[in-house]
Amino acid sequence: MEDNNKTSRRKFLDKGLKLGLVTAIGGIGLSKLSSKLNAQPETLSGEKMELMTTDGTLIQVDSSEVVEIDHTKDHDENYNVREGFPNRKFVMVVDLAKCKNALKCQSACNKHHYITGDNAWMKVYKMQESKDTAPYWMPMMCQHCDQPACVTVCPVDATFKRKDGLVLIDNERCIGCRFCMAACPYSTRVFNWGDPGQEVTLNMDMMDHSPSPEHAGAPSIKGTVDKCDFCPHAVKEGELPHCVTACPNGVFYFGDKYEDTVTNGEETLRLSKLLEDKAGYRLMEDLGTAPSVYYLPPTDRLVDFKDGLEDFKEFESVEKPE
Amino acid sequence: MKNCKNKYFVLLVIFSIFSMFTGIQTLNAQTTEKNKVRIKADYVKIMDSISYLDIAATSRIEKQNTTVSNIALTIHNETEEEEIEIGSTITNSKGKSRFIIKDLNTLKPDSTFTYTINISFKGNDAFKKASRSVSFKNAGISATISEKDSTNYISASLSDLSTNSPVEGESLTVQVQRLINPLKIGEEFNSTDENGTILVPIESGIPGIGGNLNIEVVLEDHDDYGTVKKIVRAPVGVPIVEESTYDQRTMWSPRNKTPWFILIFTNLLIFSVWGIIVYLVVNLFKINKS
Amino acid sequence: MEKFNTLVQDLAPRKFSKRGVIWTSFLLVLIILGIIAYIDQLIKGQEVTNMRDYALWGIYISNFVFFVATSFVGSVTVAILRLTKNNWRTPLVRIAEIISVSAIIMAGITIMIDMARPDRLLNLFIHARLQSPITWDVIIIPTYIVISLLLLYFPLLPDFAILKKHFKEKSPKLSKWYGKLSLNWTGSKAQKALQTNSIRIIALMIIPVGLLLQTIDAWLFSTTYRTGWDSTNFAPYFISGAFVAGVGALVAVIYVVRKYRKLEKYITEQHFDKLGKFLVLACLIYLYFNINEYLIPAFTAKKGEAVHLDTLFTGSYSTLFWLVTIVGLIIPTIVLLFKKGRRPLPMFYVGMIVVIGSWWKRFIIVTPTLLHPFLPIQGVPESWHHYFPSLHEWVITVATLAMALLMITLMVRYLPVIPIQRTADEKNIIDDNNKNLES
Repeated sequence: MEDNNKTSRRKFLDKGLKLGLVTAIGGIGLSKLSSKLNAQPETLSGEKMELMTTDGTLIQVDSSEVVEIDHTKDHDENYNVREGFPNRKFVMVVDLAKCKNALKCQSACNKHHYITGDNAWMKVYKMQESKDTAPYWMPMMCQHCDQPACVTVCPVDATFKRKDGLVLIDNERCIGCRFCMAACPYSTRVFNWGDPGQEVTLNMDMMDHSPSPEHAGAPSIKGTVDKCDFCPHAVKEGELPHCVTACPNGVFYFGDKYEDTVTNGEETLRLSKLLEDKAGYRLMEDLGTAPSVYYLPPTDRLVDFKDGLEDFKEFESVEKPE
Repeated sequence: MKNCKNKYFVLLVIFSIFSMFTGIQTLNAQTTEKNKVRIKADYVKIMDSISYLDIAATSRIEKQNTTVSNIALTIHNETEEEEIEIGSTITNSKGKSRFIIKDLNTLKPDSTFTYTINISFKGNDAFKKASRSVSFKNAGISATISEKDSTNYISASLSDLSTNSPVEGESLTVQVQRLINPLKIGEEFNSTDENGTILVPIESGIPGIGGNLNIEVVLEDHDDYGTVKKIVRAPVGVPIVEESTYDQRTMWSPRNKTPWFILIFTNLLIFSVWGIIVYLVVNLFKINKS
Repeated sequence: MEKFNTLVQDLAPRKFSKRGVIWTSFLLVLIILGIIAYIDQLIKGQEVTNMRDYALWGIYISNFVFFVATSFVGSVTVAILRLTKNNWRTPLVRIAEIISVSAIIMAGITIMIDMARPDRLLNLFIHARLQSPITWDVIIIPTYIVISLLLLYFPLLPDFAILKKHFKEKSPKLSKWYGKLSLNWTGSKAQKALQTNSIRIIALMIIPVGLLLQTIDAWLFSTTYRTGWDSTNFAPYFISGAFVAGVGALVAVIYVVRKYRKLEKYITEQHFDKLGKFLVLACLIYLYFNINEYLIPAFTAKKGEAVHLDTLFTGSYSTLFWLVTIVGLIIPTIVLLFKKGRRPLPMFYVGMIVVIGSWWKRFIIVTPTLLHPFLPIQGVPESWHHYFPSLHEWVITVATLAMALLMITLMVRYLPVIPIQRTADEKNIIDDNNKNLES
């Protein structure tokens, strides 16, 4: 009798424990399943917005992923895009003694101008004048020349020189003859040979902006020319051009020549003093282009040239999304 | 009988284990969803103008610091007795907001002449509630320009306006307003003397529109007073000289400013050649007629 | 009277033979292929070419320059030979004018193919900047087209009148067209006076305009800083190059037309001899400018020049360069210096080689310079360091050449290839006095 009771109790407990374990596991499983079904990833709000892509298709996007941007203050009716900021003459100073080919300038520029081609607007050249002189890294962008060869040869006034010193491009006017590219001695202009394919990189909120020569690349237009614009869209908001901000080594200084002041975000200096102390010069001065970019020679270097070699990609300047 | 009781008991245990696990899961899911918001606020006072709070909301999401935009914040003036709501604001797309305090006299300080402002966020689906308090005393800077031995000087005094006493031993920054970042003049540290005053020479040859410079004397981010800024506009600079060729007729000007030589020469050529062409075509018509 | 009738019979346009039809169909096929390729280019953009940011101008531009150069033949043959009273030119002028017109029209079309945004063509007129050499080009090319057409048309008036009578029975519709085009030409004193006066004016005008056309074409390159283009020599270099290309094309086409239409009586071996001497003169002048352009920079060997010349003399473009210079220029010169070389058949080969050489010479002028910019080529795909035209570019370029040939063919088909009236006048007048102008 007792044996029977013991056995049956054991059997009962045995069964009971097994059942309990299964139930517990089942419970955990069920609850996890239900939370997965119901929960949203942490940041999504759950609301959907219907938006139109650049080629006209409608898609549903979670509303928290759509970032509303500050509409830049509507332009003054008197503001002439072809004349520019009053009383300014923008210049840039590049300190070759500090550059170690980090290429952060290039990636920031590529990102903020939605560059999708194979040729970046900001390139860091590996330079060596002759085999006995020392090599150095030289960031190159549009020099915004005061006697721009590119502007002189444009047949339709698509590229123009502003009063504030910038040379910009009206991509709605450009006929794609590429004479400006042939004329530029600094090889700084790039061409959109095919469709730029910016749908991925250009956020949909940019569609609110009407295209302007002051924000080159937003959007880029097939069959027209593009180049560095000295970021007037950032300067307008009181910010430095993206390459200046992105450089971790403080290589780029940007400012107004009339104010005789340039800044790299951390140091703010008198331009004339900087050029005098560090023997600033301009590239290809004897061509008479009068560029707005000054270079400080790579003397008293803070970094070793060889440190930049690991990032040097001879055949690539724009990272493709994969 | 015993078996029955046992059965029920075990079933109860099983049931409670089940619900416990489910409950813990759901609880966990809920608490891991919301993020913490960090609110930062700086008090800035511009002399003879407004004061404001520069507010920034950030959050650490997936180990990255991101700005929190579009959240509603309520601003309260806290005193020892009460909390008065003085306004509200919403952070912009960069997670920032500037709350302007038009007149400091509308706020109530406490017994130590300290004003306390509280910025609170009541939370939403994505973020937990948060708040931040900023305390500051009312300081003021006055500044004047003087000239001695053909050098311009700016002298500035820092004083606590609530007690009307000068503040000694604090470093003021003296700088000229420029395009993006201001240009510092004077020493790196200009400490106020026992009268709360500093005297800084203004280097010559700083260019400004019409020779005018906007000079700022700033108490940067002080623990007690926040940031206080005094702007003086004075003709102590060198007038800027326009270098642009924009208004001239050059080879790189737009078409409405073509150089005279090109304009005249090409049009002369075009009109004479095409004039002759027109004459020739007229001849063709004449031949046809005769 | 009989002589006149034979004259007209010989020179009047005839229907295409089988060969003519095959030839025309062949050209049409090439043109259609070109149009298809061009539409593809319009849709996809110029990424269908192999031009990229460094080799930004390719065979579209060198083809354009070739057409502009060849169109110089009108100015040269018709005007220059006229003003220097070289009367042997008479049977050749019509064909020269035809080649000129075809070439300059094709130049206008070819340059539009190179524009990446042809939908904005009107911008070149609405927003034109007079400071730009392209604007000068946009002005001079239509001007030259109109003058060339006038130069072709005015001497045709009496011929159209003759043809109207000739075709009255055989093809009345054709006769009506000729009649309309002849503008009621009766040969009256007034008409003759107007015509002669007009032709004199055109002949005078086309020389400076033609020279200006070649000069502006050269200035598209020499107004830049680039090594190999930034040369004070470029305008006369291009003018003499046009002289060579134009006369070379003339020789080749004359030979074919003469053979096809059996015009040996009118275009004699003497004509070939004279043309040969004219061409050798052109080649010698061009050779002189080539020496100035290529040997002198080698003397100072400035870095940029040295690299560029190195590419041409011994580097990646050396085979092409030497082929073009030796086979395309020097050998023809040598051949033409001998009387035996100035016979019709050798002249045809020389003409063809000169034309092909001219086409590739312009490729040598355009592309290598672009691949030697001042700053090193870095940060772009390896393929961007070289340039060879893509299939699209070849198909489209061949189509433009086919179109030019088609225009020439159609004009040869419907126009009298040798001026009838003028030949009649000259032969009647000179016939008795100057026997050595007859075959």
